[in-house]
Amino acid sequence: MATKLDAVTIQILWNRLIAIVDEAATGLIRTAYTPSVKEYHDFCCALFDTSGRMLAHSTVTTAGFLGIVPEVMRNFLRKFPPQSLADGDAIITNDPWIASGHLIDISIAAPIFHRGRIVGYTLCIVHHLDMGGRMSTLASKDIYEEGLKIPILKLFEAGQLNRTIFDFITANTRVPDKILGDVRAQIVANNVCARGLKVMMDEYALDDGLEGLASEIISRTEQSLRSKIAKLPQGVYRNDVILPRIPGVDTDIKICCEMRVEGDGITVDYTGSSGEVGAAVNCCYNMTRSYTSYPFKLALDPSVPNNDGALNPITIIAPIGSIVNCRPPTATWGRTMISHLFPEIVFGAMEKVLPERVLAANGGAPANEIYLHGKHADGRSFMAISQHSGGFGGSARQDGPATLCFPNNTRNIPVEVTENESRMMYLRKELVPDSGGAGRNRGGLGQVVEYEILGGGPDGKDQVESSVRLSGRRENGNFPVSGRLGGKAGRGYGLEINDNEVDHGTSRTLNPGDRVCFRLSGGGGYGDPLERDPARVLDDVKEGRVTVEGARNDYVVVIDPATNTIDAAATAAKRKTPQAEARA
Amino acid sequence: MSEGVRLGVDIGGTFTDFTMVDTANGTVRVEKILTSTGAAERAVLQGVDRFREGQLDVLAGADGIIHATTLVINTILERKGARTGLITTAGFRDLLEIQREVRYDLYDLFIRLPEPIVPRRLRIGVTERVLADGSVRTPLNEAEVRQAARQLREAGVEAVAVVFLHSYRNNAHEKRAGGILAEELPGVLVSLSHQVHPEPKEYERASTTVLDAYVKRTMASYLDRLSDGLKERGYKRKLFIMLSNGGTTTADHAKAVPIQLVESGPAAGVEAASYFGRSMGIDRILSFDMGGTTAKLCIVEHGRAERARVFEVDRVKRFMAGSGLPVAVPVYDLLEIGAGGGSIARVDSLGLVQVGPDSAGAAPGPVCYGLGGLEPTVTDADLVLGYLGADSFLGGDMPLDLAAADAAVNKRLAQPTGLSVERVASGIFEIVNETMASAARQYVAEKGLAPSELTMIAFGGAGPVHALGLARKLGCPRVVVPPFPGVMSALGLLAAPVAFERSHSVKRLANATPPAELETLLRQLGEEARALLPAEASPEVLWYADMRYSGQDHALEVALTRPTVDDTAITRAVDAFVALYHDLYGKIDDDNPVEIASVRVVLTERGSTINLPKPTAIAPATAASHRRMIEADGSACDAPVYPRAALAAGQTIVGPALIEERESTTMLGRGDRMTVDASGALVIDVALPRRADEAVPRLNDKVNA
Repeated sequence: MATKLDAVTIQILWNRLIAIVDEAATGLIRTAYTPSVKEYHDFCCALFDTSGRMLAHSTVTTAGFLGIVPEVMRNFLRKFPPQSLADGDAIITNDPWIASGHLIDISIAAPIFHRGRIVGYTLCIVHHLDMGGRMSTLASKDIYEEGLKIPILKLFEAGQLNRTIFDFITANTRVPDKILGDVRAQIVANNVCARGLKVMMDEYALDDGLEGLASEIISRTEQSLRSKIAKLPQGVYRNDVILPRIPGVDTDIKICCEMRVEGDGITVDYTGSSGEVGAAVNCCYNMTRSYTSYPFKLALDPSVPNNDGALNPITIIAPIGSIVNCRPPTATWGRTMISHLFPEIVFGAMEKVLPERVLAANGGAPANEIYLHGKHADGRSFMAISQHSGGFGGSARQDGPATLCFPNNTRNIPVEVTENESRMMYLRKELVPDSGGAGRNRGGLGQVVEYEILGGGPDGKDQVESSVRLSGRRENGNFPVSGRLGGKAGRGYGLEINDNEVDHGTSRTLNPGDRVCFRLSGGGGYGDPLERDPARVLDDVKEGRVTVEGARNDYVVVIDPATNTIDAAATAAKRKTPQAEARA
Repeated sequence: MSEGVRLGVDIGGTFTDFTMVDTANGTVRVEKILTSTGAAERAVLQGVDRFREGQLDVLAGADGIIHATTLVINTILERKGARTGLITTAGFRDLLEIQREVRYDLYDLFIRLPEPIVPRRLRIGVTERVLADGSVRTPLNEAEVRQAARQLREAGVEAVAVVFLHSYRNNAHEKRAGGILAEELPGVLVSLSHQVHPEPKEYERASTTVLDAYVKRTMASYLDRLSDGLKERGYKRKLFIMLSNGGTTTADHAKAVPIQLVESGPAAGVEAASYFGRSMGIDRILSFDMGGTTAKLCIVEHGRAERARVFEVDRVKRFMAGSGLPVAVPVYDLLEIGAGGGSIARVDSLGLVQVGPDSAGAAPGPVCYGLGGLEPTVTDADLVLGYLGADSFLGGDMPLDLAAADAAVNKRLAQPTGLSVERVASGIFEIVNETMASAARQYVAEKGLAPSELTMIAFGGAGPVHALGLARKLGCPRVVVPPFPGVMSALGLLAAPVAFERSHSVKRLANATPPAELETLLRQLGEEARALLPAEASPEVLWYADMRYSGQDHALEVALTRPTVDDTAITRAVDAFVALYHDLYGKIDDDNPVEIASVRVVLTERGSTINLPKPTAIAPATAASHRRMIEADGSACDAPVYPRAALAAGQTIVGPALIEERESTTMLGRGDRMTVDASGALVIDVALPRRADEAVPRLNDKVNA
């Protein structure tokens, strides 16, 4: 007898679906070969019903995949409808427009057959180390420079591996063994997911398939978000911004964002934004969808697990041919230079309606990414990836934590792991005092990171290719790491090689002994710094998060460095500005 | 082990529990004594003395004392460890605060991260550098280490952790720094990261090392005083300590790296629940162990609990994975919550009643203990509600002061909130149960199970009092309360097989590892483990290899055939690995070579045979008395009180009712239906509410809350 989907059963099965994709993610991590998966966690595992609706994604994932995942699955099914699929098939692609916006991500999906028919689909997307082409650079003018494109193909046919695809990957990439190892781990993830679903369907006798459960999950999620939206004041809220200069792009890039709250839905309209550019920062629609939907879930309905239902209430208008909905063959490797800003731009529009639920800017958005490529002493090629975060934005409730990833969500790769994987040595990775934007609630501290190139190859003299991509956001330039509601901007930005300032986002050939140093800004502050309790400023000084000078200049709190106490009289006198008077 | 007696001692934050089994006939005696704070060994020795009364040679003839302790975790949760400093490679002093830079909850705007144990002002970098291959790039600047030591001494530091990059590969600098610190800071205990966790990933290693330093003084002095006290009483053998994964070590080894004991007490509980699950034939268990300070939950399937390599302590968000401080030691994969009988109830700044996570412990203890406690606790609420009897606690040996508990709840909670004493006490009971339930829901769901599939085995002093309330919230249909629930972890120490493990990293391709070298290594490890055991012991010996495809991190355990290792043994191990890999992950044609990550030797001694007293009553017991008890809906009833010893096998009692025994009380709510099993265990069918709307707890509207 089939299980009746009452409210208790739905909740149990819903939790179970999430546990299944989490187990898939565990399988992926345990069998992966590169720190990109094992440490960085730049992946997503997801589970779908037969019509391709996403029911659950792994708890460990990055926000960039949330809107992408449902699109990939639907695109796969358009090419390979259910009747063309057999048990043991797996489908692969890395086409940016079909999948996740740049070639370096490979998507692999598989139908889940149970008792002779398809009951659902499993998908695993992984950010790989390399996909050939020009290495990790914003300078590519089109997609053809960026590497190998794998169209939608069957990687497995009825359990048989299509070796031709592996041969193409091997022939086109710098570290094929590692990449194919991670591809195999993706297949493991899909196997684990399929097995988990089949066990659940047997255990709960879901003889009629997943569709009933899927509709319940998705409609409840959608209704929940819609009910939150319906409580917002109706209206049109705009936030148009000019982005910092992107290396290789001569014109200013503008993002126009109009947020329309209409009944229980929201439309975000990017009409008016800049067109495609001849640098690798163009965003495919899927990516725009992920990072535009994410801030609404975050601000309005964070406690309900995410699935297709959370995407439905958000309509996105992104003109074709603009930088937020680019066409082939534009270059897209560094698409996060644009897409990682959408949550903040949306928060800027939302600030007027929901000041209590927006964050000040994150000092590390768009995310930093480091690539290194060279030879080990034994002659093997290495490719290493790394990422470091800026300070988190202050909010209505708290100071921003130091060095915390946003809006993507990847873990740093430990210093010791990267040093084992490549020929480099970190010289420092430390918090920077006074880098957090001042505010009633301070922005989290940013950091300074410095590394030195070690010689590679058998004689220890080989050069190393390396690139560092940063946010480009300076305190006094376009689009600084802003505070909100009177909070100040975060500080500390820059990239130097051997003490000379250079552009970020391009790959360079470095010699042994070359030093690369970069700073990731602190987060923006929230609220007027003069409203910050002097006792909290003193705590920050004692802990070395704010200097005595910073306390005086940013918070107008006078601290006697000899005794580490507040000079109450001097502080009161100095804080008595016309501004402060007006408030009181 | 030879004939004689064996002792199990489980020291918790509030009580110290004792079990003694006569190995000739399996009879068991138990004791329960208040843990003496500041000098935890006093309670242990006091309990031992009680057993010695009339049997003076108990210790001299004892085969073994096995000890489990929650001292380490409680020191961390209550932040009562040493004032700790950290010395790192220059440029990396913030690694404790930078952590992994990831949000453990993708959807939480107001995410909080765990506060580092060492504040920034006590973190100092010194010049030195070892590279990934172990070569020295920059020698250790000894003057800077001395300078750092002086700076830390001036700051009043009591313990120091040293974490240098790549020390797992070359530990010379850490060792030298340790030597200098010993000279500069006599009496200050030092933890060196390569001794605590010699593996890459600096944050996890640093976090573990810092926590080790933080608890070291407390643990070392405790174990020293305990060993001395036992020696004075004629005990001649080694003192054995339970590790966090159910393995065993000696007190001397435990002292060197005390963080290994982080889950020692809970591990004993897991062993006990596994033992009972096996003996009662229950396949899927939710072990629920609630003591004075914390509650522990663990899923045991088919007699085995899962193990993990990294544990997290002190999670800041609802026990959500990733929100705590990582501790890289082998542990049972269990859930620990700061909720126990001693958890303190307070009115917070919002005017709301909060319970825990800090505990009154044994001193000053709950108000009703009359030991100076002023702040009302969960136990005080349980007393006010009538779940505990003022004159029957510890069989009447420890009278509880109901009037004082009532007055404290009134003064500190009822008056400020304008509620009645009983309403507030009910609220405390409810809040602590809900805290445990919400953490448990997530833990169970993460394992892909539903509470409805699990049988709860409830123990620990407060476990049977709160078990039915918790089971009702979770939807667990059945609760089992074993005999001696109040001292069950101590029983687990005796019943469980005693395992001694030694492992060593190998990291070589299987086909390039000379079999003879591997065999030598395994024999060495075996001898090391054997040295921990008495000469006359005849343990079972097992050899294992952890294997993986070269390039992966995670390894799978494969048994190695004894007593020799040759080429075919390695080939068989590789084949076994590939077969296991295919079972777990599907048939993946991986053409990478297989690597031996590490090898491990496990020596196992069988646990003692235990004969617990069976119900002897022939006629069903009638209530010995009645007590006013507040039910879940707030109404009062006159609940029958049954002494557990008087119950007959097969007897059925429907709640509301109270079953009292010396070390605990089982509180049956309305409709809970208890049957006495032939083994003496209480088997309770939980009266589950039928509420359709409870189904979607995760849809709670936190946004507008």
